[in-house]
Amino acid sequence: MSNDKSNEGFEALATMWQQSQEAFVNAQKEVGEQFQKSLNQMAGTAKPDTSDPIAAWQNLIKAWVPAWDTGPTPSVNWPGDLDFRKGHQAFFELLDPQKWTQYAPEQLRVMLERIAHGPQFADLVMPQQQMANAWRETLDYQQAASDMSKVMQKAWTAAYETYSQSYALEDLQSGEMNEALNAWLKSANEALLEAQGSSDFLDAQKRMIRASTEIRARQRDMAETWSDAWQMPTRTEVDDLTRTVHQLRRELRELKREVANLNSTGK
Amino acid sequence: MPTEFNMGASKKSQEELALEAWSLAMSQMLEAGQKALRSGGMLSELVDDDVQIAEAEYEVVFEIDKVRLFKYAPTGKPNKAIAPVVICYGLFGRQSMIDLQEDRSLVRNMLAAGITVYVVDWGNPTRADQFLNFDDYVDLYLGSCMEFAVSENNNNPVNMFGICEGGTFAVMLAATRPELFAGLALAITPVDFHGDQENFWLGEGFLNTWIGNLDQHDIDLLIETYGMLPGAMTGAIFSSLTPINSMTKYNIGIANLDGNKDAILNFLRMEKWIADRPDHPGELARQWLNGLYRENQLVKGEFELLGEKVDLAKITCPVLNIYAHQDHIIPVSCSKALGKFIPKERYQEIGFPGGHVGVFVSRKAQGVVSGGLIEWLEASDKKPEKKAKPKAKSE
Repeated sequence: MSNDKSNEGFEALATMWQQSQEAFVNAQKEVGEQFQKSLNQMAGTAKPDTSDPIAAWQNLIKAWVPAWDTGPTPSVNWPGDLDFRKGHQAFFELLDPQKWTQYAPEQLRVMLERIAHGPQFADLVMPQQQMANAWRETLDYQQAASDMSKVMQKAWTAAYETYSQSYALEDLQSGEMNEALNAWLKSANEALLEAQGSSDFLDAQKRMIRASTEIRARQRDMAETWSDAWQMPTRTEVDDLTRTVHQLRRELRELKREVANLNSTGK
Repeated sequence: MPTEFNMGASKKSQEELALEAWSLAMSQMLEAGQKALRSGGMLSELVDDDVQIAEAEYEVVFEIDKVRLFKYAPTGKPNKAIAPVVICYGLFGRQSMIDLQEDRSLVRNMLAAGITVYVVDWGNPTRADQFLNFDDYVDLYLGSCMEFAVSENNNNPVNMFGICEGGTFAVMLAATRPELFAGLALAITPVDFHGDQENFWLGEGFLNTWIGNLDQHDIDLLIETYGMLPGAMTGAIFSSLTPINSMTKYNIGIANLDGNKDAILNFLRMEKWIADRPDHPGELARQWLNGLYRENQLVKGEFELLGEKVDLAKITCPVLNIYAHQDHIIPVSCSKALGKFIPKERYQEIGFPGGHVGVFVSRKAQGVVSGGLIEWLEASDKKPEKKAKPKAKSE
């Protein structure tokens, strides 16, 4: 099993999925807490308080539906003050990589480009060029991650729209919570799969992979500069040795095979 | 949608409806909560030692570098009419998939049918192995394993069962060393890496699309930078192929198991298998991604082993090709493409009604796949007309 935990781009993807999962867990935790509260209220009674069943039902909906409405105007028309959007915002914030990646202003990028691509002087050490490249590549990665998050946000929005059209609040009035949840997951799954095959996603994914790999390559360059300064073998040197051993073993194998063939044919 | 609520039904009617809905919702939530509690309780009782996979007994009979060949003795009456079977998995997972648990084990089903089974274990490649490529994996490693099995079979050819990437290795070896093969069975094996993309269903073939969208430079940079194709990276990609399933399996999915110990152990065995992904040596991965996925060299007859083009029409043994209709990783069209290269009288297919991994771990698979494979081995058993002549041992 691999122990390499330094695949930034893919870690970011994994983080995105993990955050989505945490969002589910949190949403369910909220539901569980509300549910427990409701149960506690019911303790000692065989039936729920039916003096105001509509209010009881609204509370239940509040507890169960963290945020199945979006936008400034709820698309469903339910009496009362149901703050569907609060849970919705929390849910989507957890899914939003923009919350954990901030990309710098364009001016900074331009400045770094100038440093990184400035003229090189043979007899002057210019570590700032390497640093500028590293910084610029980090910005590229953050931009790529941001672009990817936009694509995914669009997909989640599409998922909600589909859900709100195909499974309206009126359907929730049946009390079929399992159906409501399954319908939401089905809508979300289809929207995400649609998104993952779109050209926007493909472009964003490509840029993200490229940017994250470039950062990793730059880190290697910088580590090699340090290793070299401290008389330590570099990754490149170890790789070169590995290649040499590999080639020698291959040549040895071929020679052995030729010798064995010669022996078997008696030549 | 108009309902009795917003159509102005009587107050009593509203109350009754609300109460009914409230009760139903509460009962469903209570049930879901109870299931989650039961599953959580069962999970807290289990430890890692309770989750065992690949427990069928074997002995290591051959080794070359990090590669080992396991041999399993038949548990049923030995069926001497069927040549031994060498099973070759890929590196995107571990061969333990074929013996995940006692009642869902391709290996045990074959052993019970009296068949001698060998299984290739690729070990754990590290960065020191980064320059290994298809020449090494197909000709040297797999070829040597087959030579060993042939030598133990009185120099008669043996069967090979290749799975997923291991199937692609097997196809290449069968085309370049046909004298070693009595038969070639494949499961969920990509041969045409582009497939019928215009007719992919939603979610099918993302790997083909995603890798095909990358430039050669992107792949090269990735391999040169990491040296390997890390298992953690491929694992993250596989998870993203089924987004909602990946997000919900540890919460809703586990809750739905309802504390059932057997079901939870099944789930945990699969998790254990998923968590164990070897790294791909860089050069092997470069050929896999650039040469096969991007450029589709194998079906074009352009892929080279040891400097010679692999010609799939040179496969001379009978072929069984098993694919899964709901396989989101290896589209059906990518597997079925092999049929174009094999004469009909030597080619059979089994279309399994399930997904990629379900081919081995579902209950249905024990009959359809294991049963179908054993039937094919029995029916197509070939009395070898001539002894195989293995190449001289290379190492």
